[in-house]
Amino acid sequence: MPSLHLSAPAEQVNSPHSLLPFLQSQSEKTLNRLYERPSSCLSIFRLLAPLQQQIVMNLLWLESAIPSSTMAAWVVREGKRNYDTALTTLFRLHILTKSPIKLALNPTFKTSLRQALTGGGTTGSFGVPAPKDDTHPPMGIDGLDGYALERWETILHYMVSSGSGQNTMRPSKEVLFLLQRSGLMANSHGSLQITSAGFQFLLHSPHAQLWDLLLQYFQLAEERGMDLVEVLSFLFMLSTMELGREYTTEGMNGTDTASPTHKAMLNDLRDYGLLWQRSRSSRRFYPTRLATTLTSSSPPLPTSTGPSSGPKEGFIVLETNYRVYAYTDNPLQTAVLNLFVALKYRFPNLVVGSITRDSVKKALSNGISAEQIISYLIAHAHPQMRKNNPLLPVTVQDQIRLWELEKNRLKSQEGYLYTAFTSPADYELVLNYAKQLDVVLWENAVKRCFFGTLDGHANIKGFIERRTGGNA
Amino acid sequence: MDDDSNGSHLSVVLDLSPKYWELSARDPPENTYPLTLATFLSQLLAFLNAHIACRHENTLAVFGAFPGKSVMLYSSSDPLPDAQSTNTNANSYPPFHAVDSAVVQRIMTELDSLEDQSRRAELDLLEAPSAMVGAIAKALCYVNRITLPPSSNSKTQANGFHPGVLPDPRILILSISPDLSTSYIPIMNSIFSAQKLKATIDVCQIYGPNTVFLQQAAHLTGGSYIFLERRDALLQYLIMSFLPPPAIRKTLSVPTQEQVDFRAACFCHKKIIDIGFVCSVCLSIFCQPLPVCTTCRTKFPMKTLQRLNAARPLLATATGNSRSASVGRAAAVTNNGVGGLPHSGTIGNGNTSNGR
Repeated sequence: MPSLHLSAPAEQVNSPHSLLPFLQSQSEKTLNRLYERPSSCLSIFRLLAPLQQQIVMNLLWLESAIPSSTMAAWVVREGKRNYDTALTTLFRLHILTKSPIKLALNPTFKTSLRQALTGGGTTGSFGVPAPKDDTHPPMGIDGLDGYALERWETILHYMVSSGSGQNTMRPSKEVLFLLQRSGLMANSHGSLQITSAGFQFLLHSPHAQLWDLLLQYFQLAEERGMDLVEVLSFLFMLSTMELGREYTTEGMNGTDTASPTHKAMLNDLRDYGLLWQRSRSSRRFYPTRLATTLTSSSPPLPTSTGPSSGPKEGFIVLETNYRVYAYTDNPLQTAVLNLFVALKYRFPNLVVGSITRDSVKKALSNGISAEQIISYLIAHAHPQMRKNNPLLPVTVQDQIRLWELEKNRLKSQEGYLYTAFTSPADYELVLNYAKQLDVVLWENAVKRCFFGTLDGHANIKGFIERRTGGNA
Repeated sequence: MDDDSNGSHLSVVLDLSPKYWELSARDPPENTYPLTLATFLSQLLAFLNAHIACRHENTLAVFGAFPGKSVMLYSSSDPLPDAQSTNTNANSYPPFHAVDSAVVQRIMTELDSLEDQSRRAELDLLEAPSAMVGAIAKALCYVNRITLPPSSNSKTQANGFHPGVLPDPRILILSISPDLSTSYIPIMNSIFSAQKLKATIDVCQIYGPNTVFLQQAAHLTGGSYIFLERRDALLQYLIMSFLPPPAIRKTLSVPTQEQVDFRAACFCHKKIIDIGFVCSVCLSIFCQPLPVCTTCRTKFPMKTLQRLNAARPLLATATGNSRSASVGRAAAVTNNGVGGLPHSGTIGNGNTSNGR
């Protein structure tokens, strides 16, 4: 079947979720504590690859361990490699217990995931809904989306405009600190400037951006002395909550009051737009769409549908003459385009510009790669563009890649230049010796000099010294 | 197309015939592994939750085939408003809670109303065969609706591009009652529409004998058919064979049938037959040679009729001895019916053939 061969490499290309490597680096004890909460198990389960999920599910309802050969008998021969990598990942996450012969789920994980699927228990890990609030009208989903969008775009917009010297709304101090810590922005001349990592970050999908920041946040949390398990489980709990429902901070951990970690997180996550509170000290909060879609792979983030942004799907039309038409009035999208497009005109709903050598060079020097530009254009292509095959004009794609190659015309290599040979014979002799060692990078017989690599130097030096010593 | 990032759709068709569930629940002397409706439902709900748990984008629809009536019990695209707002507690994931309560509640109310009706009408409606075909057809309609891009957005439709389309929809039929031979034609039609929609039909026969038609449905749509032997292990069966979407089945194989019973039902008496006579024009199947096809009114010459009638007792005795041979021959009959097109050139000749 041809489709079988087509799908196999596609599955390998899919990189695992960015959180999984982070979890793998945690100790078994930490993970076991995390697995105690059903909501965490459910969220982690969702982040696994489909094959891994199926393996977990096959084992979930078995009471005893089964020989690994029994499970392997179900594997089609072509899928053996995928299966083995899936098992390795599960071992590393300590979802499977380490044993070469028998396969079994980690008992803690098993109990919690079972509880998540069947409901029940008293862990309260899916969030405690707040009792009806009579004094305030409930917050609508539109309002929450608007809030999340506004918060998130403020962060991104601040990053984009930091280079241009425009004054935009500043995100809170904590956010700025996080951006700086994660290397997306750097302090230069007394003000924060976006780094090349930051430029690359801007071209990612909103979902990837969010997880990037959160991963940084986890690392920061550890340094701030917050309990990582509490941080993670709070976030996973948010991801399993229902959009448009109000939750209370009380009784989240079986205790009456929120722990200091939770209080700090409520503040931080409110700044990122993951949750909304009526006031800073409020004991109630609403998760926003940013939070509730954390564990989905292709999220319908409000960032792309909000009131001020362009159309839901792609908005960019790219022509073979390098012209770019972007149907958007969103300042953030315009600013991101400005990274690699020379903008010419602006209309109420349209921005026109063209991709030029200079504009791409500028982007490249900011650390953005040609592939990133192309993938951004593909991801945001206008529906009209989808008719084309290939999606982007080949000429433009190739040219962007060629411009990138231009940057790479020079290759630097460390080494030694050998000059001032007394006679052509001397020169020939040393050069031949160096050629035998295959360490010559460049030679010029007229000027009687050649350039050798770093690792060949000791030999050549020794050879010359032996020669001169012999003559003397 | 990156089919990993998208969710998959699962429609579940439940056979809820009270008569057979009662038979299935009887204790050991009659059943080695009794299975009551309540245990079945609790295991099914765990399976449904597992499907939703796999991906945030996964969608689910549940259809019930009640005696003489088919009902949509739950669908994730338009959840019941009252089920959403009812008590969410801190110990369960809201979507799971919504599915569980909706499915159980709807089944309860439907069964109650059926009982009411039958008492009022003084008829035993509960004995009636379950409306399996209706439920399958509804499931197919639902799949069709979610697979096609929404018509309101004509712009995306014109481009043949729609981001929200879910790949490889699946239908899982959990059947408990035996074949109903009158439903042969509608089931065959459902199979064809499923093939057209590229939907996979999986079948699990929970109780009673193998069903011929559903076996064919699974075989023809590339699904898997399982006859539940250890009924105490229902959930494990469900999860191992019916949870993985087609992409995963290429790595972790699922059981498929070794032998498929391809016998068809005749159009005249709705009997499942070993040897049929097929109209050469419209491919209708009959259990005996007819002078005029009842479906397309084609007249057949007397001579062929006589020849076929003369050959009939011979065929009957020959096939009566070895059943496997007859299955093979009947397979040819249905295969013609499935893959072949009506031979337009034979209208004038009016030949009757028995499939060979």
